Amino acid sequence: MASTSESISPPRPVGTLRSLLSSQRNFKRLQQVIIFIIMAIGAIAMIAPFEWMLATSFSRSANVAMPRIPRFWPADPSTFNYKVAITNLPLVRYYLNSLIVTTTSTLGYLFFSSLTGYAFAKGRFVGKSILFIILLTTLMIPFEIRMIPMYLLMRQLHLSDTYAALILPFISGGFGTFLMRQYISAIPDELIDAARIDGASELTIYTRIILPLCGPALAALTVLSALWRWNDVLWPLLVISDRSLYTITFGLAIAGRSQGIFTGVALATSAIAILPLMILYLFLQRYIIKGIMLTGLKG
Amino acid sequence: MLKKLRKSLIWYVFIAPTFFLYALFVAYPTFETFRLSFFHEVATRQEFIGALHYVRLLSNQVFLAALLNTAFLGIIFLLIIIPLSLVMASLLNNLRVWPNLFKAIYFLPQITSTVAVALVFSFVFQPNWGLVNGLLRQLGVNPLPLWLAEPRYVLTGSRAAVTILAVWVALGYYMLIFQAGLQAVPAELYDAAVVDGAGPLQTWWLITIPSLRPTFIFLLITGTIDAMSRFSDLWTLGGPAGTPARSLQTIVLFMYQTAFESNDFNLASASAVILFVVVLILTMVNFRSFLQREFSSQSGA
Repeated sequence: MASTSESISPPRPVGTLRSLLSSQRNFKRLQQVIIFIIMAIGAIAMIAPFEWMLATSFSRSANVAMPRIPRFWPADPSTFNYKVAITNLPLVRYYLNSLIVTTTSTLGYLFFSSLTGYAFAKGRFVGKSILFIILLTTLMIPFEIRMIPMYLLMRQLHLSDTYAALILPFISGGFGTFLMRQYISAIPDELIDAARIDGASELTIYTRIILPLCGPALAALTVLSALWRWNDVLWPLLVISDRSLYTITFGLAIAGRSQGIFTGVALATSAIAILPLMILYLFLQRYIIKGIMLTGLKG
Repeated sequence: MLKKLRKSLIWYVFIAPTFFLYALFVAYPTFETFRLSFFHEVATRQEFIGALHYVRLLSNQVFLAALLNTAFLGIIFLLIIIPLSLVMASLLNNLRVWPNLFKAIYFLPQITSTVAVALVFSFVFQPNWGLVNGLLRQLGVNPLPLWLAEPRYVLTGSRAAVTILAVWVALGYYMLIFQAGLQAVPAELYDAAVVDGAGPLQTWWLITIPSLRPTFIFLLITGTIDAMSRFSDLWTLGGPAGTPARSLQTIVLFMYQTAFESNDFNLASASAVILFVVVLILTMVNFRSFLQREFSSQSGA
């Protein structure tokens, strides 16, 4: 019966199509709104702790009494906590140390990784594959497993409490070499052969041809190395006891474990350690995210 | 002949610095960790004692608790982060408004140092006026959870607090890796599913998730290794002993405490070797898929 009535009723293809389309469009719109709301809730959860940190760090009374209802804007705005934080700790010095350590070890990491990576990608020499496999074992030996003898070695070499202790172990690495080798392998041999015919030395080829073509890989390594070094706390904990050599991350860790009672000051110190990096991230986030995606590793 | 040697000499010069550093900071320390673990110190002299440290460790309640704790924290973390980040990444992949803004926001904790984030969270989880309990109080929760002051295995104890912290930090990274995986799923598969009349949820369950197999393996294994070597955030929150009541002590914290507070480098080295064996097994499984990842071809992505 139903089928008969259907065949009798005049077909309205245009109307059904239109209503179908519009309902589908509404469905899509609703879907977008729901997804947006879920993502926004997550984003608020990501930002709230930082915002709360800022609000509390600018509150004069936070050291004495915290409001029972969390405030995202200080009731008594003041820069008092920041003044105390800067007088309490040589934060400028810590920043300088972080900059020195991060820049030097990252530059070293880029140079040695790409140089070694070039040799393994394009060089011809006896023992190449076995040496490369030996180097790759680094990827299987986490730092934590080597750290005790590394600490004892630094003590024997009288390098404890020096910049060298924070830099030397990290200016070259299995992962960087591996990444550069993979990347340089994809550069066509013709380019290199042409330069060789013109009489260029391997060093010239490395600086003039290889390096300029490695932009994305070098950028990714820069991001990783910089994040690793800037945020490291375990290694400084072992080899640094001289306060004038503390990095900002390490100085914050030590201060946080000792002056935790003063909420406002502790959070102002945290903010000083976090904010400059966050501002840098705002400008570089595309490159940073690209770098992380390229390597699959995190900071 | 001489010319040929001279030609390959330059390559050895190129790799020499890396191998010198490798010998000094990778090969020698690894070997030395193994050696130290079979010795003990008698009046500043090292004496061979065989596997005694391993026997001691495997009957040491503190070490076993740290081992168990490391596994527990790692498993709970992965059980939460993998489904959560997959769902969030899939949603974000379908969002047309500001997807990159959200991606950047979710990634924010990842670029902040673990120490700074942990320090902020020690206040966020403060029982009386912390951000979390302040909001819970507004919602009428009573009594308020103790979070970092509660060492027992409860849903609102110290382990829960550090798990929330870890998920909050890592979510953006896991989403990013899942998004890369999602973009690699061949579009033909989706087209075929639409032709066959599959709905969006069916497509997700039957096509997206199976296609993400390599991503799952990668994240599971790197996540496990990260969990095995967890240190900085727990050290900031609970010190070397993983206070309260060692509820936050992991293997690396145990290692640190044994070496640098009890000054027993030998026993600490033995625990490092045990950690090494566990990580090695995990890495071996990962190694093949890791080598097969095509770094060069992803450069445009």
